Amino acid sequence: MVKEEEESPNRPDNTAFTQQRLPAWQPMLSAGIVIPGFVVIGLVFIGIGVALFVTSRSITVLEIDYTGVDKDSPCFKCSDPDIKNCPCTVDFTIDTLFEGPLFLYYGLSNYFQNYRKYSASKDLTQLSGDLANFKAPSDDCYPYDYSAQKPIVPCGSIANSMFNDTFKLFHMVKGTKNPVALDGKGIAWWTDYNVKFRNPSVNPLKDAFNGTTKPPFWPKPAYELDPTDPANNGFINQDFLVWMRAAALPNFRKLYRRISEGEYEKGLPAGNYSLEIAYNYPVLKFEGRKKVVFSNVSWMGGKNEFLGIAYLVIGSLCVVMSIVMLIVYAKFKFPEED
Amino acid sequence: MAKESFESGLSWEVRANSRHFHNQKKSLLCFGWGRYADNVLRSYKYSPLTFLPLTLFEQFQRAANLYFLLMVVMQCVPVIASVPWYISMIPLLLVLTVRGSKDLINDMARRRSDSQINTRPCDILISQSFQSAQWKDLCVGDVLRIHRDQVIPADLLLLYSSEPHSLCYVETADIDGETNLKYRQAAGATHSELTAHPVEETLAAFDGVVLCEEPNNRLYTFRGELHWRGECHLLESEHILLRGTVLRNTEVAYGLTIYTGTDTKILKNSGKLRVKTTQTEKVFNFVVIGIVVTLLLAALLLAIGSGVFSSRVTGHSNVLVANGNPVYTGFLAYWSYIILLSPAMPIALYISFELIHTVHSYFIGWDIEMYWQQADRPAQARNTSLNEELGQVEYLLSDKTGTLTQNRLLFRQCFVAGQIYGDASVRAEDVEPMDLSWNPYSCGGLYMSAPSLVEKLRFEQCPLSRQFLTALSLCHTVMTEWKEVPPVYQSASPDEETLVGAARELGWVFLSRTRDFVKVSELGVTRQYQLLALLDFTSKRRCMSVLVREPEGGLKLYCKGADIVILERLQKDSPYQEWTERALELFSQACLRTLCVAVRSVPEALWMQWSKTLARSAAMATCDRDAVLEKLYDEMEQEMQLLGVTAIEDRLQEGVPETIALLRQAGLKVWVLTGDKKETAVNIAYSCKLLDPDTRLLEWQELRQILQAPDPGANFFKSRQMELWAVDTNTAGAKTAVVLTGPELAEFDQRPEWGSTFMSVAEQCQSVLCCRVTPGQKADIVTLVRKHTSSVTMAIGDGANDVNMIKTAHVGVGLAGVEGGQAVQSADFALSQFRFLQRLLLIHGRWSYKRISIFLRYFLFKTCSFALVHIWFGFFNGFSAQTLYEIWFIAMYTVLYTASPIMCLAFFEQDVTAEISLKWPEVYKSGQRQELSSPLVICLTLLHAVYSSFVLFFIPLGVFHNTAFDYQTMSVTVSMAATFTATIEIMLVTRYWTKISVASLGVSVVLYFIVSRITQSRFLFERSPKDYFFIGTSDKAFIDPVVWLTALLTAWTAVLPSFTAHALSVIQTAHDKHKVHSVSLQPTQLKTNFRRATSLRRSSYALSQGAGPGRLISSGTCIRSTAPPVDEKMTCSNNLPLSQGQTHTKDYNSTSM
Repeated sequence: MVKEEEESPNRPDNTAFTQQRLPAWQPMLSAGIVIPGFVVIGLVFIGIGVALFVTSRSITVLEIDYTGVDKDSPCFKCSDPDIKNCPCTVDFTIDTLFEGPLFLYYGLSNYFQNYRKYSASKDLTQLSGDLANFKAPSDDCYPYDYSAQKPIVPCGSIANSMFNDTFKLFHMVKGTKNPVALDGKGIAWWTDYNVKFRNPSVNPLKDAFNGTTKPPFWPKPAYELDPTDPANNGFINQDFLVWMRAAALPNFRKLYRRISEGEYEKGLPAGNYSLEIAYNYPVLKFEGRKKVVFSNVSWMGGKNEFLGIAYLVIGSLCVVMSIVMLIVYAKFKFPEED
Repeated sequence: MAKESFESGLSWEVRANSRHFHNQKKSLLCFGWGRYADNVLRSYKYSPLTFLPLTLFEQFQRAANLYFLLMVVMQCVPVIASVPWYISMIPLLLVLTVRGSKDLINDMARRRSDSQINTRPCDILISQSFQSAQWKDLCVGDVLRIHRDQVIPADLLLLYSSEPHSLCYVETADIDGETNLKYRQAAGATHSELTAHPVEETLAAFDGVVLCEEPNNRLYTFRGELHWRGECHLLESEHILLRGTVLRNTEVAYGLTIYTGTDTKILKNSGKLRVKTTQTEKVFNFVVIGIVVTLLLAALLLAIGSGVFSSRVTGHSNVLVANGNPVYTGFLAYWSYIILLSPAMPIALYISFELIHTVHSYFIGWDIEMYWQQADRPAQARNTSLNEELGQVEYLLSDKTGTLTQNRLLFRQCFVAGQIYGDASVRAEDVEPMDLSWNPYSCGGLYMSAPSLVEKLRFEQCPLSRQFLTALSLCHTVMTEWKEVPPVYQSASPDEETLVGAARELGWVFLSRTRDFVKVSELGVTRQYQLLALLDFTSKRRCMSVLVREPEGGLKLYCKGADIVILERLQKDSPYQEWTERALELFSQACLRTLCVAVRSVPEALWMQWSKTLARSAAMATCDRDAVLEKLYDEMEQEMQLLGVTAIEDRLQEGVPETIALLRQAGLKVWVLTGDKKETAVNIAYSCKLLDPDTRLLEWQELRQILQAPDPGANFFKSRQMELWAVDTNTAGAKTAVVLTGPELAEFDQRPEWGSTFMSVAEQCQSVLCCRVTPGQKADIVTLVRKHTSSVTMAIGDGANDVNMIKTAHVGVGLAGVEGGQAVQSADFALSQFRFLQRLLLIHGRWSYKRISIFLRYFLFKTCSFALVHIWFGFFNGFSAQTLYEIWFIAMYTVLYTASPIMCLAFFEQDVTAEISLKWPEVYKSGQRQELSSPLVICLTLLHAVYSSFVLFFIPLGVFHNTAFDYQTMSVTVSMAATFTATIEIMLVTRYWTKISVASLGVSVVLYFIVSRITQSRFLFERSPKDYFFIGTSDKAFIDPVVWLTALLTAWTAVLPSFTAHALSVIQTAHDKHKVHSVSLQPTQLKTNFRRATSLRRSSYALSQGAGPGRLISSGTCIRSTAPPVDEKMTCSNNLPLSQGQTHTKDYNSTSM
């Protein structure tokens, strides 16, 4: 044998790979596997769908549109973009206990935060605290990179257009306004807060901003975003971080506050409430809407009926499909009977 | 002088021994042009200088490459770059490099084989002496010396040879596939004038001028004049030695070079090197163009949308960065969208495509069952881009000599006096050799074991059998050459050579022949027969006879010929008639070529009278004479007594009948194209099971009527039914075969409208046999098939005469055999044996086709479904060309996350095993019908891709609409869903799960998660925030149940249609599949064994076309002086009445022998 191989150097190797005889599993599918398979998958989907649907039903959501389009709405007077910091109050009633912990969102619609030029209009190096980019913001920020020859910090249109309405919630108990504590801590992503966005290590923070200017749309510079908490200023301001995480679609919500401590930790009891809004953000000129959303959450996050229904639909479709297959199978198996 | 010749079209002037005349070349740099080509073979394409520009030019002719280049250029423009430039630049460079180096390697191989041919030695006459030189040094006008067995380097005018009358013998197997020797003779003038010694001096002084036709591809004709010493001699093809032929049995021949290099007839016949692309690739390219156009259109619409959106939002440009000019925004969005949608047609597809082809080619080379031990040669895929076409072949056009047959004729059986000797059921190699030691002339080569016959012969028990052998040793036109004992036989007909050889083995040794005498040693007793007349073979008569006077004085006519001809000329009451019929039947069942041998004792009176008539007829005009002669011969060949039947096996290559039967079952149409004779071709077609025993041959007369009829199809059916309804109406359709010859085929040139009619007739026939065709005509037939059908053609051959057809066919296969063949150089695939074709087509071809079509469809699905998502997303991001994926996902999706499972499939997939493919050849037909790669199937795939992309976007949209989920989370969700979709889809199409496929599937999905985590990690972000800004997204998304539930739902919904389609097809075909797997266990060999219900005898006698070489024999021109030494004492008495016998054939119109 060895001798033979020596005599024929061109002889191909007789291995499973070269001879294409690799051991393999060749599943022989049959109707007996396929049809029950479809039924099982369909049932699993229906099961998931039911679970999701039930979960979603257990979540309560309260949406309040405060754009002020209608003349009789409380914020109508504020819808004129020329009026700054216009206060308006929206009253609402809760019939039963709104179980907590509650989340307070603001929602915008017809707002294209995912517009490519818009979402790219920021300087990540600047936002991670690099002082070099304070002096010379990236071109991506155009046209919000310089204002009157001074670099804008934070630059770019996404930062410039930061949402700046503020909300205060009061529980009306026997004619007195009982403030509901809104917790603004930890509403941003951990990575955003700790890695992606960093303030320059300059103390005080204000000095880092020397020679720069605030975005034109902002009333106050970045280092004065939260006058109540000095640590919540600059690029790591929670509201700023939430805003900078661009939304996926033109209709979106962003987390504003949590009601997770104090006397309303367990939820909002039935009663009258008053939401005081400092109305700043103009949305009407692009036919946008603003709203405030109260919601509690479950294991699957916020309310999402679509997912449960979609699972139910696809699951039922699979079951229907398996019935169709059964009919086809019967026709093929017993053709003479037809 | 020259002027006249010019007018007659003889414009090619060759002056002997004057190189300077022919070397008037103009040249510039490395390019030269002159009237006369040099003798250097250049089949290579590139030189070091031209390689880069040429290869780039060639590669950018591919629309795809150009498209990718455009993409790269566009991605370098920052304003529109929606993905970074390096994402497609690197793959493009890779493709160009790989392709370029592959071409370069191929070209180097061609250079090597060229130089091998160019450096072959030859002797050129330079200043009065022959000097050894190389082929490439040869110039027009040079005088050459060719030795025995040398290959002739250029087209030569034979001036003189060492043989009498300046005859010489050439083997033309490489030109026309015929293996018998052909005669060439120098012009009388040069022969007589140049014979003086020493040859060198006379040749050096030779200053003849040849005027002839311009170089052309007509192999069998030559027109020219030799002007020498003030005289003009006509030159014909008889005087020409063609390049590629081999000088045989001639000591030395001298020739004047007339055409060299590319001007030679064989190279003029060899056709152009074409770049071949497969049908699938063509369909695919069409689809690619379609996709690209669609993408451009989609991009345009999206760009318009972008402009409109921009014009609507300019009012609040402080929020959104809109430039203010909607048209400009739209313009930029257009290019951005083109870049964004371009991953639908990724360059990775082309890289993978090449890689798969290469691996499939390796598999062909690695197949141990296509390895031929004897020559230590595995199969070889020389062109690595045609693999899938092997699975779609519908027409197999095969050469005969050397491809189907071995060029060996064996005397296997005979029937003498009511007894059959020998056994054809035993393989020739296994025949027990007889003890022939008593015979000093025996030198082996008889594959028949019949000791009883030998006994009868030696001990004079059966006079009939002795006469039978006498007939075999006398009745032929074979020539002997005495170098040593035993003599070497040479003949124009290989059949005769075999018969004479067999007689020699059995003791009847044909010793020598002069013009008038034939000397035979009968069991050691030398007897000399006087040759009175030679009644030559014509294809019309289908027999030949010799009239001899025995040493005892009796007159005998020995005749051999086709059974039909001989049997009707026998005496009425001849014995063994029934036995003869049975024997013929048996022989033909064993696919042996039969000849009947008969004898007649001719009364002296009859001979006297007959010879007078013959003498008279010799004086008549040629045209009348043929008819008279035929009648005369007919008179003589009567009242014969049957001596026996010979059965010769034309050795087929190993496994040819089985292979052809298998290929026919697989739906292939096998055509035979040969330069050989019609009789031989038809016989071979029967014996290799290409034609069934009851197949009717449709010959030219009938075919012509059909072609000329106003409604050819109906006519064909009618004629077929008229003839065949009685036999078997059901199978009538397939039981016809067309037989054509070269000259008949030439009529197609004048009647181009016949082509389609012919093809429609041929399509209904079992096979088509084309005989006596030139290499150019072989290619024309291939072109005819290609033109009038959409089928894939494959040509297979071994010789230089097949090169053209191999180049013309979709797929060309060269057989290397023992010596290696010329055809291999230009073939796409090289095999050692014809039988390997079954594995090449039915296994490798089928698998390749299957794998590649699944690969292409899957690839289109996965890339389109993934890229087209951006169209839908455009509606929700203001048509701003925002990507829905992280750019790293776009870069890695096709090459990392979804690549290895499909590559595994493309390498290893087997829907049925190799054994079942061979046992159930019908499964091959799906490739011929293009079931997996038809435009419809591809359109369905694309439709599915569009649907999937729709689902991939809109289900996440429904979930994330109006929620707090951000863009990056949605992006990760969609990319996860896309990866899952591609993975589930590949699981659906994979039928053959090796460990590697399972591992690669797992690895690629896991890679998605790992690489996503890496590109979205803190580490990379801190190094380049701008490139890795998805930091932290996957950390969060991969633990979010909503993301998972959404991705799963999306993926499942996206594959639901194909899942359903697969399930339905499983339900519908479960029954058939079961059949394949269960029936395949039975040996299908049974079918072939029970087929011979009716069989028609075939008997043939193949000679060169037209008349036999009787003319040369009887004129004595080729009778050698090398007879055995005893011949010197030969008695030359009584040679009076013979002249008639020779004269009548003297002017026989022998067409090109």
